[in-house]
Amino acid sequence: MLLPVSAPNTPSAPAACDVGIGWRQPHYASLLQTPRAIDFLEVHSENFFAAGGAALAVLERGRAHYPISLHGVGLALGSAAGVDDWHLQQLAQLVRRVDPVRVSDHASFARARVDGNTIHASDLLPIPFNRQALDVLCNNVQRVQDRLQRPIAVENLSAYIQWQTTAEDALAEPFFLMELTRRSGCALLIDVNNIFVNARNADLKAPLDVAVARCRTWLDQIDGAAVAEIHLAGHCYQNDVHGEIVIDDHSDRVCPEVWQLYRHALQRLGPVPTLIEWDTAIPELDVLLDEAARARACALERA
Amino acid sequence: MNHLQTQQDALLNALFAWPAEHATHQLMAHLSPGAGPVLRGIQAYQSNGHALAQRALAAAYPVVQQLVGAPSFADLARALWHAHPPVRGDVALWGATLPDFVRHSAQLQDVPYLADVAQAEWRLHACATAADATPEPASLQLLTTHAPDTVTLALVPGSCAICSQWPLASLLLAHRAGGPSLATVGAALRDGVAEDVVVWRQGWQPTLRQALVGEAAVLQALLSGATLAQALDAGPTLDFAHWLPLAVQSGLILAVRPATPGTSSTNDNLPL
Repeated sequence: MLLPVSAPNTPSAPAACDVGIGWRQPHYASLLQTPRAIDFLEVHSENFFAAGGAALAVLERGRAHYPISLHGVGLALGSAAGVDDWHLQQLAQLVRRVDPVRVSDHASFARARVDGNTIHASDLLPIPFNRQALDVLCNNVQRVQDRLQRPIAVENLSAYIQWQTTAEDALAEPFFLMELTRRSGCALLIDVNNIFVNARNADLKAPLDVAVARCRTWLDQIDGAAVAEIHLAGHCYQNDVHGEIVIDDHSDRVCPEVWQLYRHALQRLGPVPTLIEWDTAIPELDVLLDEAARARACALERA
Repeated sequence: MNHLQTQQDALLNALFAWPAEHATHQLMAHLSPGAGPVLRGIQAYQSNGHALAQRALAAAYPVVQQLVGAPSFADLARALWHAHPPVRGDVALWGATLPDFVRHSAQLQDVPYLADVAQAEWRLHACATAADATPEPASLQLLTTHAPDTVTLALVPGSCAICSQWPLASLLLAHRAGGPSLATVGAALRDGVAEDVVVWRQGWQPTLRQALVGEAAVLQALLSGATLAQALDAGPTLDFAHWLPLAVQSGLILAVRPATPGTSSTNDNLPL
């Protein structure tokens, strides 16, 4: 039986309709030079694992102006091979240094054996939704929380393959995630775009409203009390010799269907801090701020 | 081995085995055919890995990329990705093995200086994120009160000296700083000019220059924990009086410290 960790160092809860943006290299300087109406900045933890250097100095300056959310892409929490001690040590040092408002990563794996060596795929690879994967995920999340002495938030994934599971062993993804929170004491980070991408890839020939309906059902199974943050992002459609697929590449504005689902999520989950993610072909800062303003308007509209 | 471990090993094998057909076929047995075209999904992950490899390697090795050209560099990144997969979850640490990979690559033997260029670029990449350190100019006074065999020079973290039988400094500076001209570098290559390189961080900026005569040996000795006297013995041709103010002013030397037996370099934590 895993027990939830206490959170002695967790900062006080943020305002309910906080909206933040991902802070990436092209906008390091501009966000420091001119204060913006942003409630928090999100950075990828691994980009700041270094012992020193310019990027870390920028982050330390940034945290003087904005709350920082540390979002990881490399803990590989669903790995049967476990979490890398080195990675956890780097993250713990960074958390001590930055004192972030939230620490999060994904319900994914990346560590496994190839040719007898444990390697890290540097990707967010899906895990099956069954009891065995849940046990591994809970153990790894618990280990991270014990080390950081604070709860983390775990994000649902966009997945391009589905593992085979037996009918008696299979768990629905929302149930799987809620079980994770119940057993480990972690929070959830709900990426609305990921839910939509998965729904589209499940049947690209189906009308958009079918995918939207699937996503609503998914969201309806999540308890708002467990959700610490929402992510919104853009995606792209790829159609080439390999076939058609929707890729969660964070390369565009949030699509209308995901805005629609975000409003639904706010109704179902209550007001939740929300992040605009944009990691590929990063646009002018004003575009990100425009998306953030739109998210804020949705939250205010709901309030 | 439990079933989850088997599944996860199978996916990583499909992503890193090369050629991937057999491993992909083995992975298919673990996947559900119900949701979308399965092969398309696997291919998305394979492509993502290759694109990431290219981006990560280009960030660390911009001169190697210029020297071999973008298409060959993409092939090189893909080959390294499969031969030496990442082991850490910070992809900026991946790519340290490129210099050796290039040195032993049959296809790249016609660019014999490429491995040295790669080695210098990786050290530049690594020193960008080395620990921050503050110069201690007052400590220079120890040079007037202590014998050279009782003190050592502390170099800025991330610094190193690279010896080369090629005009390494000119090759790097021509592509990074726009000078000397490529014609000059070509002539130096034809003439068999050898240039050692010093890499260090000046403020936030990773920097390199051609080493002075004897400097590389002195720096390597200092980095391995030698006293100043031992380091100067290792590089007796270095004009110390000329070099010292240059090295202090440029931030290469941080401090003079009493020698501690068994002390080694400040680069222990770097991904070298």
